[in-house]
Amino acid sequence: MDQENIIYMKDIVKAYKMGSNELVVLKEASLQVKQGEFVAILGPSGSGKSTLMNIIGCIDVANSGEYRLSGQNIDAKSEDELSAIRNKEIGFIFQKFNLLPKYTALHNVQMPLLLRGLDRKIAYEKAKDVLEKVGLGDRTEHKPLELSGGQQQRVSIARALVGDPNILLADEPTGALDSQTGKEIMDLFLKLNEQGNTIVIITHDEEIAKKAKRIIHVKDGHVYQ
Amino acid sequence: MRMIEIFRAVLINIKENKFKVFLTSLGIIVGALTIILVIGIGKGSQANVQDQFQRLNVGTLYIMPNFGGQTTETLGVEDIEAIKEEAPSVSNVTIMVSGNADVNYAKTSASVSIAGATEDFQNINNLVLAQGEFINNDHNEDRKRVAVIGAEIVTMLFEEEADSEIVGKDIIIKGKRYEVIGVLERLGGSMQGFNPDEGIIVPYDVAEKYIVGKKARTRVMALAKDIDHVSDAIDEITQILSKVHKGKSDDFRIRDAGSSLVAAQDSAKAMTLLLMSIATIVLIVGGIGIMNVLFVSVKERTKEIGILKAIGARKKDILLQFLLESIVISTSGGVIGILLSIMIMPLMKYTDIRVIPSFFGYGMGLVFSVATGTFFGYYPAMKAANLKPIDALNYE
Ligand SMILES: Nc1ncnc2c1ncn2[C@@H]1O[C@H](COP(=O)(O)OP(=O)(O)O)[C@@H](O)[C@H]1O
Ligand SMILES: [Mg+2]
Repeated sequence: MDQENIIYMKDIVKAYKMGSNELVVLKEASLQVKQGEFVAILGPSGSGKSTLMNIIGCIDVANSGEYRLSGQNIDAKSEDELSAIRNKEIGFIFQKFNLLPKYTALHNVQMPLLLRGLDRKIAYEKAKDVLEKVGLGDRTEHKPLELSGGQQQRVSIARALVGDPNILLADEPTGALDSQTGKEIMDLFLKLNEQGNTIVIITHDEEIAKKAKRIIHVKDGHVYQ
Repeated sequence: MRMIEIFRAVLINIKENKFKVFLTSLGIIVGALTIILVIGIGKGSQANVQDQFQRLNVGTLYIMPNFGGQTTETLGVEDIEAIKEEAPSVSNVTIMVSGNADVNYAKTSASVSIAGATEDFQNINNLVLAQGEFINNDHNEDRKRVAVIGAEIVTMLFEEEADSEIVGKDIIIKGKRYEVIGVLERLGGSMQGFNPDEGIIVPYDVAEKYIVGKKARTRVMALAKDIDHVSDAIDEITQILSKVHKGKSDDFRIRDAGSSLVAAQDSAKAMTLLLMSIATIVLIVGGIGIMNVLFVSVKERTKEIGILKAIGARKKDILLQFLLESIVISTSGGVIGILLSIMIMPLMKYTDIRVIPSFFGYGMGLVFSVATGTFFGYYPAMKAANLKPIDALNYE
């Protein structure tokens, strides 16, 4: 197996039981993502993109198939081991930001480090740096509802970056934003990729997908690399 | 996650939901308060029993007619004369009769319990005089209308007189004039059937003649030579009674103060136990309240739990956060309960219930609060910790 592969997926199947029927959402999906890549996953709504992304992000598990993340066999991990992987290896960015509403921007960004058991001071310095990097150095004490959508998404990108993950996963990160803000967020992703971050981004917008360096198509549960 | 950070998360959540937290802790506050009061009341009633019996010799025997029998025999002076002469294990014996009568002095009038007694009544009940003297045999033989009054009666009838002036004054009992010859020191508790603090004692024959009448309920009190002679004394008295009353000794009941003490202690204990179980029920109800609120809270915060799990929270982090929240709520409930009890207990002196505050009580209140929070918080916390990240995240 190629050493450079951060993501190695082979014949991943995900199905949901719907009463007596079974809804197969991913049909033997295979894909690889290498270190430093910027990949867009493109496909119509309901095609299985989020399902795929959640499995990549270790938030969900496949029914069958092989999945290796940075060389580790994910199928064999316990729940707490998966928690540690999500914390250290992966930075997840959601369409609806998914920030903790009671916490300030800074506290939200600190969380992955705090969960890791780091000291609050260290987490504070790191989080402040990253918030500055995404252009929110002056909004650290704001709570999510006191920020615009674009700003919230920047906080959530900062939260994904703060733990120095091997890969950034973004599920329609511009989906809840107006087109101008969406463009700014995409530019931020491009900049992050130039700085060496491996990024996988889901979109159903071809314009956005074109900015990525490689496009993976998902259609009706099949993945076409 | 570090404990301090979990704690910070708990405080942020509590701060955001102050009112709900207050409602939740209400059950615990009431529970802790109940426990503390219950322990205080338990200690109070035990102390009451002790006070009641501390002036009493354990060798005291009470002989009473058994009301409810077909032919009701009453006890009389001939009984105590017989016991005095024929019961070697008895060192002292007295007869007493009691009832209620109207008492007047100046413009004050009240219904008061009156006891008719003989000289030995004082020794057997360890009565101490604050002023004057007790009733003696001459008073009885001459049927002198004299009275020894209890401490409460002094405050009731003689509000305006100096204590030293009371002896020698005349009071009216049931329309007849009596001279006050003595004032009792406060006893603090009541003996069987008659509370000397709130009563007036007159010579036995006088009480029988002028106040309570021939048919009144009499009782005999005897003192055994010492504690080892109590059962001998009971046997002797039983025999004498059956001789004097011609085989109708079944009409009488003999009780000794020792077993009354044990019975009173037992009933005080039973009372404490009963109150304790009420307190436990209150706490369980409070605990179920906490559990309900936490279940709702877990549901409301499902999304948040999903987010935390998605960025790397382990089961333990989630479990501890919810468990700690429950413990913090219940502990503060316990502390508030303690503070409330400290404010309420002094007010209890306006009721008839005696409470004695104690650190044991406060400790128990707190321990039970924390235990309730931990026990009832565990299940919802476990439920939160076991949520699957994807399900929690997609929960709306
Ligand atoms: N928990 C679930 N239970 C049942 N069906 C699901 C569940 N999650 C997703 N699906 C179905 O799987 C399909 C793919 O969903 P998803 O991956 O969210 O699509 P996309 O992100 O490409 O729009 C949809 O048809 C959806 O209804
Ligand atoms: Mg989707």
